[in-house]
Amino acid sequence: MSLPPIFNSSFLAEAGGVSPALFTFLGYTAAVFSLAVIANYLRKDGNFLSEYFLGNRGLGVWAFALTFAATSASGGSFTGFPSKIYSHGWILGLWIGSYIIFPICTMGFIGKRLNQVARRSGAITVPDVIRDRFRSAGFGLLAVALIVFFMSFNLIAQFKAGSLMLKTLLSGVGVFESGVTFLKDSIGGSVDPAYLLCLCGFGLAVIAYTTYGGFQAVVWTDVMQGVVMVFGVMIMLPLALYLVGKGAPEGVGSLEYATSRMVDMSPPRRGVAVFRPGGPEGNRAPLGEGSWIRIPGSDEGAEARLFKVIPKLALEERLRKRGEPWVAVLEITSPGDRSQVIENQGDRARSDFILEDLELQGYAYGAEDGRKGVYVTGPGPSPSSDAGFLPLSLVISFFFMWAISGSGQPASMVRLMAFNNTVTLRRSIFTVAVYYSLIYFPLVIIFCCARVLMPGMDAESDRIMPAMAVFLTENVGAGWLAGLLIAAPFAAVMSTVDSFLLMISSGLVRDIYQRNINPGASELRLKRLSYLFTLLVGGAALLGAVNPPQFLQDIIVYTGSGLAACFLAPVVYAIYWPRSNVEGCMAGMLGGFISHLSMYVGGIFANGSFFRPYRLMDFDPIIVGLLVSFLAGYLVTLRTPPPPEDLVRKYFYKPEISTGA
Amino acid sequence: MNAPDNNQEPANAPWDPVFLESRREALIILLLWVAALLWAVPYCYLNGFPETFVAEEFSTVWGIPSWLFWGIAVPWLLADVFTLWFCFFYMKDGDLGEEAPVESQEGA
Repeated sequence: MSLPPIFNSSFLAEAGGVSPALFTFLGYTAAVFSLAVIANYLRKDGNFLSEYFLGNRGLGVWAFALTFAATSASGGSFTGFPSKIYSHGWILGLWIGSYIIFPICTMGFIGKRLNQVARRSGAITVPDVIRDRFRSAGFGLLAVALIVFFMSFNLIAQFKAGSLMLKTLLSGVGVFESGVTFLKDSIGGSVDPAYLLCLCGFGLAVIAYTTYGGFQAVVWTDVMQGVVMVFGVMIMLPLALYLVGKGAPEGVGSLEYATSRMVDMSPPRRGVAVFRPGGPEGNRAPLGEGSWIRIPGSDEGAEARLFKVIPKLALEERLRKRGEPWVAVLEITSPGDRSQVIENQGDRARSDFILEDLELQGYAYGAEDGRKGVYVTGPGPSPSSDAGFLPLSLVISFFFMWAISGSGQPASMVRLMAFNNTVTLRRSIFTVAVYYSLIYFPLVIIFCCARVLMPGMDAESDRIMPAMAVFLTENVGAGWLAGLLIAAPFAAVMSTVDSFLLMISSGLVRDIYQRNINPGASELRLKRLSYLFTLLVGGAALLGAVNPPQFLQDIIVYTGSGLAACFLAPVVYAIYWPRSNVEGCMAGMLGGFISHLSMYVGGIFANGSFFRPYRLMDFDPIIVGLLVSFLAGYLVTLRTPPPPEDLVRKYFYKPEISTGA
Repeated sequence: MNAPDNNQEPANAPWDPVFLESRREALIILLLWVAALLWAVPYCYLNGFPETFVAEEFSTVWGIPSWLFWGIAVPWLLADVFTLWFCFFYMKDGDLGEEAPVESQEGA
């Protein structure tokens, strides 16, 4: 197999001669802007806020299904998830276990009824529903406050994720590098200029089309992004199976061969090392990040050891203590992986160095001598936890995490308020079920194949998606396809960011300004304010992301599970339980927020970090948050007076006899 | 299904049919989630988490580890079939109502 220089940081620039990444980004931005312009042009007359933030409840099957699917599938689906599959193997099939029923749970559980309640009250936002359903301005404001709190942090983290992704994609592209050099000269060394450039490019594009086009633009760009995602996966799957099958003995299937290779794999070791030139004079090129070094075995006949120089960040602390000439390294421990690397690298693997000093650390779970099968069974290898990657308690937690907490996301709830009728809902649930089946399990297969085809990416597994895209397309002589494939993660993060942006600005314009400060505001004023707030919120998030908080993925997990802990129980009670009242549902919301937060605060004392939460009986904080929220809501409701009769009539009785509507 | 448990209303209260149907559907979905949990988690845990890995005992179906195939891939397919049935043969259509005018909102 002849392979591109995939371990070089500028590999994307070289793929296909021209840069598919840059081409994709520009083509993509152009398409997104065109859709935003069309959306703005087609915006109907009538209530501006309802149209701008909710599309006038007019979404049909494809628009509703794909905007729902694309918003739920955040950037993590195409960066964090492939990275985890690559790092831990087949166990990720169980990690996403509850995706088997994700669409029916997240859309069918509350969709129909939430849409009906929102129509009866004329609600445009989730806080609107809560405020009207309980006739409580205070409860509505609490809901807005929590949404703005969680989503602002999340938005900053997503901006960072999008920018980092773009930086990876554009790294090494000529025009981009020139821009980085120019920026570096202009701003000095306070911020990484490459990151800043990507942040501005990504951020301004999203803010512009979201502000201009509103909900319709977000929905239609979501549709496009959703299509790109599924096409990306559907192209990658056969390519991955084809390439992995090339090495299979006759009569053995591609995937069977890949799994049998994974049976023999053992986790790599990481550490620091000193190499010094030892070969003949002449080739003295220094060892850069990504270099592979073969060191002959010490005994006669012993197999050569194989090291890769990995980014310093991976072992920064240990390197700082030692200084030059120590470098961070990863050692491949499986014979099969070593052969694959040698085959991939060919002459690029260096053998003109001598290993002078070495300190390595194995995985906390899965690295025992001679142990096999760790990548094909549970709980999966883990560098840091001696219980493995996915012990039973976390299997159960993740079953809650995806399907149940997915139902409690306000960004999804808004979409459930936007479909036009129940026929659309029914067809969309099935569409999303098929859509997710075509994406998530195939992703597990593709990146298990990546483990076999591209060993040694463990320290940079966040880059496995673009790396695999280039690898696959180059090997079948279609480098131009890489651009389309790497657009998929980009699409995923964009479609999440735009909907969050709109959620926050709708909270400020509709829930705070119109409903509390100036109920008589004119359409024109509301229109200007909507544009202004969307622009301001986006601008603020962009500024926040210039120096973003460190724990990117942790913030996304914290805010996602926190929102579910706050919103699921109150909304379920509000739409399904006539006896529910404002006291009970507020208690549920606050109970979920506080108990979930306290697990994270507990992490500071128990584990030394807010983002390593305390796990009660080893369960994730989302379980504690949801249980407390449902329990508090139920108990407080029963101990407080029933709701006013006319409210129950308005939301639970047939409309013709209701008195309030 | 009987009328919802609301101790302030008479048992024969004229509940909205969409409310009753969607509550019944939500209950079925909740049961589906429980069924998926009871299938996937114990099956995968009992068959896919060996204390000691024995290569000869490890098997695959179409290249997928058999514990994952029977524990996740098959129920995934069945869940899609169930979703098909649920969406096209069980779930009821109903009139969700017209948009309430903004003026009717309390506190607006």
